[in-house]
Amino acid sequence: MITLADYLVVGAILFCLSLAGIFLNRKNVIILLMSIELMLLAVNMNFVAFSAFNQDIAGQVFVFFILTVAAAEAAIGLAILVVLYRSKQSINVDDMDSMKG
Amino acid sequence: MTFEKIIFYLFATILVLAAVRVITSRNPVHSALFLVLAFFSSSALWILIEAEFLAITLVLVYVGAVMVLFLFVVMMLNINVDVMREGFIKYLPIGVAVAIISAIEMGIVITGNFSGDKSPALVRKGADYSNTEAIGQVLYTEYLFAFEVAAVLLLVAIVAAISLTMRKRPNTRSQNPSSQVIVKKEDRLRVVKMDAEGKGS
Amino acid sequence: MNNEMAVIEMPNLALVMPEMFLLGMTCVLLVLDLFLNDRNRIITYLLAQLTLFGAVVITFSQMGGEAVTGFSGSFVRDSMGDILKIFIYVVTAIVFLYSRQYLQLRNMFRGEYYALGLFGVLGMMIMVSAHSFLTVYLGLELLSLSLYSMVALNRDSEASTEAAMKYFVLGAMASGMLLYGMSMIYGITGSLDIKEVGSYIANNGANNIILSFGLVFVVVGLAFKLGAVPFHMWVPDIYQGAQTPVTLYLGAAPKIAAFAMVMRLLVDGMEALYVDWQQMLTIMAVLSLALGNVVAIAQTNIKRMLAYSTISHVGFLLLGIIAAGPDGYSASMFYVLIYALMSTGAFGMIILLSRAGFEADTLDDFKGLNERSKWYAFIMLLIMFSMAGVPPTVGFFAKLWVLEAVLNVDMVWLAAVAVLFSVIGAYYYIRIVKLMYFDKAEDNSVIVADVDLKVVVSANGILMLVLGLFPGMLMAVCQQVLA
Repeated sequence: MITLADYLVVGAILFCLSLAGIFLNRKNVIILLMSIELMLLAVNMNFVAFSAFNQDIAGQVFVFFILTVAAAEAAIGLAILVVLYRSKQSINVDDMDSMKG
Repeated sequence: MTFEKIIFYLFATILVLAAVRVITSRNPVHSALFLVLAFFSSSALWILIEAEFLAITLVLVYVGAVMVLFLFVVMMLNINVDVMREGFIKYLPIGVAVAIISAIEMGIVITGNFSGDKSPALVRKGADYSNTEAIGQVLYTEYLFAFEVAAVLLLVAIVAAISLTMRKRPNTRSQNPSSQVIVKKEDRLRVVKMDAEGKGS
Repeated sequence: MNNEMAVIEMPNLALVMPEMFLLGMTCVLLVLDLFLNDRNRIITYLLAQLTLFGAVVITFSQMGGEAVTGFSGSFVRDSMGDILKIFIYVVTAIVFLYSRQYLQLRNMFRGEYYALGLFGVLGMMIMVSAHSFLTVYLGLELLSLSLYSMVALNRDSEASTEAAMKYFVLGAMASGMLLYGMSMIYGITGSLDIKEVGSYIANNGANNIILSFGLVFVVVGLAFKLGAVPFHMWVPDIYQGAQTPVTLYLGAAPKIAAFAMVMRLLVDGMEALYVDWQQMLTIMAVLSLALGNVVAIAQTNIKRMLAYSTISHVGFLLLGIIAAGPDGYSASMFYVLIYALMSTGAFGMIILLSRAGFEADTLDDFKGLNERSKWYAFIMLLIMFSMAGVPPTVGFFAKLWVLEAVLNVDMVWLAAVAVLFSVIGAYYYIRIVKLMYFDKAEDNSVIVADVDLKVVVSANGILMLVLGLFPGMLMAVCQQVLA
């Protein structure tokens, strides 16, 4: 039988991978945005699993809203990325150092 | 090992490998495509536990819309792939080590509390049960408020994305079909009466 | 098909009157703005102010009485929420007023600033009134998405877009953490409703390791949003990189909403886990007080300095929540309301001194302000004294009550740490006062500003003194709503 733990472990692995992606990535902002999508996927995995195993539909409804928000977030993130690229001609994370202190 | 479990491990492995490639791939286009693969595999995992509606939504919304947007932006921006990974290798070992250790720790906490007998049994619903209907029944009633807020969120996304990226370029030349159509001969052509040229010139 | 018809409860729409009004007016504003040319753009501004005024009236008329939940437990209207909302409207109205001239002078006077600002207010209102994890999350995202795009709105500036990108990535990550924690807590308690979660934890014991596991992620997510050390790294860059009106906006009212979020999640939802979150918050509060106050001394950019000052104020805010009980919470609430007013005042002064092509955002720009204008130097002095916590300004009482609450629960060492770092922190506020009164002005131009800006900045400064002389009233309100 598949157990709840199986799903949650997949979620935990995805979550750690996405965190690693955010902190390791020094070169490309697009990969950062993709890591964030991965993180939300990990969260969704948890909610769907809990919802299915606990027989409670609320978790799936939450996932529905997370998907909606993530789509809106991706749109704004990419819009900011385009604006950033226009002003800097680069999306390199290391180039984002105009402020220090 | 049951057939179900084999399917689960198959898709879970694909999912994890795809996720690893998303963050380590050299080329952002590859990352985006691996992310698509990750979404497809998790959608399969969700179908295994009868969350069909979300599984389909994930493919439709994410793969169909969000990832296409990602790919569009990746290709629109002219990114130099060669410099992309220079600094990455330096931090990779320690980063991977930290990620693996924390994943193992989280795994221990989770398996200690949710595996074996501690996991609630998965109750299979009958063929007449519709996951979509169950979500639909509560979405517009119990979660009406959240639904309306989500609508406002999408409106904000539209306003923000347009106001950030739309530029009015005063110098662009564009066609105005309506004025092209309604133009009359008199507007464009001026017939000038001149005397005939004198001879001998 | 199901044969049984589900009984659908008709939602009580009167409960969300302020939200509906604000949303409706914002949509009107969005459409109306399309038909205005730049000369008539002032109508957008006036409509935004009218919207906020209307929201104050509606919320005020609904005030009082018991807490009422609606929309199947997604939403709650209570006295704490009403007071916080009214402050959010008022602070945002002041922010819009301060920003008008700045934006007009720089050709940035666009409808989007006000539309996104009002959407952000709506997000804050939803956070304040949230009664389930889902509504907390949606309100938070509505606010955050508005803020990300407002920071990026000045799209030709490298610093602004860079700040927006950093804010976006860290903010989205924080939301992810918060959600991960919520998913764990949902898994254990089987409910998204904050009250049900609270009663489940209280009844079934707080010793569940998964609950603490989830709580860690929730607290980390909250700390990111509040800007508490060690999750503060976005704050200085965003404060410095964003345009002053945007910094002004995101430094004031969203802090009130963040306080509400902490109250709803940690206090209403997980008070039974008090011992766990108290430890985490204590570490963060001490680090915030230390780092915020010490690093602020090294800053030359006043916006960056105020960013570190925010971090230290967040530390104080957390102290009240750590102290817990009605005393601690009301002290924290008082602190955050006063902080929002002080912060608008400080950024208002920066806007007052700036002019087209000149930002007035370095400390040197405040040199010799006394020679240029005795009155505004005095106003800035009041604001700085209030931030430093010098009596008789209101900042002193805000700090005093938080410390009193901490002492009441016998955490003497914590109070001592807080006092020590406040004294260190006082140095950089007083330094501005010294620059204003004892240094020679480098630039002797007369301060030119519209009447409304001058009057409200002055009123804002004087308010610090007046509230300091009569602090009891507001404090009584805070105590009453949290009793």
